[in-house]
Amino acid sequence: MAEVQAANVQLATGSAATIGGSRKSLWQRFEPTVLGTATIIALLLVWQFLPDLIPMKAGTKLFFAVPSQIVGTLWSMFATGMIWAPLGVSASAFAIGLAMAILVGLPLGVLLGRSATLNAMFDPFITAFNATPRLVFLPLLLLWFGIGMWSKVAVVFLGAVFPLLINTYEGVRNSDRLLVNVVRSFGANEWDIARLVVVPNAMPFIIVGLRLAIGRAVLGVVVSEFFGSQDGLGVVMVRAASEFKVNIVFAGLIVFAGLSLVMTGLVKLLENRMTRWRPEHLNAE
Amino acid sequence: MAAGTAPGMNFIARYRKVVLGGFAVAVFFVAWQAIFLIVPYNPLFISKPSAIAEGFVDLIQSGDLLDDLAVSAIPFFYGFAAAVLVGVPLGIVMGWRKRVGEALDPLMTVFYASPLVALAPLVVIFFGVGVGGKAVIVFFLSVFPFVFNAAAGVRAVDPLLINVVRSLGGGEWDLYRKVIFPSVLPYIVAAARIAVGRAMIGVLVGEFFAASEGIGYAISRFGDIFATDRMFACILTVMAIAVVLTEGIRFAERTAFPWRAGN
Repeated sequence: MAEVQAANVQLATGSAATIGGSRKSLWQRFEPTVLGTATIIALLLVWQFLPDLIPMKAGTKLFFAVPSQIVGTLWSMFATGMIWAPLGVSASAFAIGLAMAILVGLPLGVLLGRSATLNAMFDPFITAFNATPRLVFLPLLLLWFGIGMWSKVAVVFLGAVFPLLINTYEGVRNSDRLLVNVVRSFGANEWDIARLVVVPNAMPFIIVGLRLAIGRAVLGVVVSEFFGSQDGLGVVMVRAASEFKVNIVFAGLIVFAGLSLVMTGLVKLLENRMTRWRPEHLNAE
Repeated sequence: MAAGTAPGMNFIARYRKVVLGGFAVAVFFVAWQAIFLIVPYNPLFISKPSAIAEGFVDLIQSGDLLDDLAVSAIPFFYGFAAAVLVGVPLGIVMGWRKRVGEALDPLMTVFYASPLVALAPLVVIFFGVGVGGKAVIVFFLSVFPFVFNAAAGVRAVDPLLINVVRSLGGGEWDLYRKVIFPSVLPYIVAAARIAVGRAMIGVLVGEFFAASEGIGYAISRFGDIFATDRMFACILTVMAIAVVLTEGIRFAERTAFPWRAGN
């Protein structure tokens, strides 16, 4: 499954980065950071000075927002406070949808991981919904929930619930049979098994699912606001685009990317907090 | 998830998963059809399987569905092909040349992590709502899985094989052709599976915006005119296509690279 593969890649690169660091010269250690930063800076500089280097028609210049303009726009959006109302609308749709996805995805994932029969019955639906871009349901959701908050929440929920569900399921399936049998021998019921063995064991998978879910949720907010909404940051962006205010579109993109980064950072903190007891974690530190 | 099937198992036990899954799907559609015997049926908001089937037949016979699918397939194909042609070579070089990888990796991560769909309104302004605009959106959404997977594939190449080719006098090009590309291929196919879904999002976004034809346009127009039976028929068609593409690639992976099937 795509989600789980991404998990492996991320785990692999994460550990490789921590192991490599010890016996190297200062330059060797910082070379990747310096190279990576230099590329980004170089690109930004080219972008900034491109209008000066290449003669452009006035019409083309209209479309071309350089980084300094975009940063200026972003600054003024925060300084004047005009960003807070639309950002609040977008962020609450994001938060409600993601919370609902967690509330549904985690228990259902545990249940399907523990019951082969239920899993076999739900599998066709999960496969079908997970393969389909959830955007396709947007017109239907608009019909059902109307234009506004709840159709957005529904899109966010549909986007975020499947990575969580599938990763939880994989994590539960991955738990050690022996441990399950041990607690069961000591008289644990299914609830105890989930609480003591299965969920702690599935935690790294769940965290990866959560990270993927955040990306999908941000995507859901953006697209649902493009097509079926009257307020929110996505609406601000579409309106700006239709008025050729390219700098506002890029500023909005940066805010959405920032939202995604902040949430992923929070998950990272949560991950460190919750997996501190793991042996591989102790070795890496 | 394919459990080992013992030879002595009977039919039901062996096909338990398929039987249960098929049963659940059948129950779902029957319940969907039957619930309107109790609940009042309002065709403006919901449809039922019999009406959807009629709508589907209608769309097939008039040729509208196939026309719309054909219109949507063209930008999908162009954008996806461009993503492969750009993403795979870029990823291979990034994985193979350590400095190139270090230089480009943060930039690519920034692009991959930011919701690039948010630039769709700009793309539409720059490139129009036709094939060009949609293909560009598809390209930007689907190129990064190829870049990252190709790079990861190269990093996973067995160093022994590289040394063998070098010892036998192979040059840089021989390395790419004989060792790197064959080892990377499974990663590229896996990337294609991820990218297919993203590319479909690209087509739909482009068509929801301001198209006058295409499957995404058909869905939103049927929604606007409350033709829920035909809207459901189109949605189910898109779902079927998505499942066939994704599971088809998964099947190809299992068949062509059975040693990776465990992943």
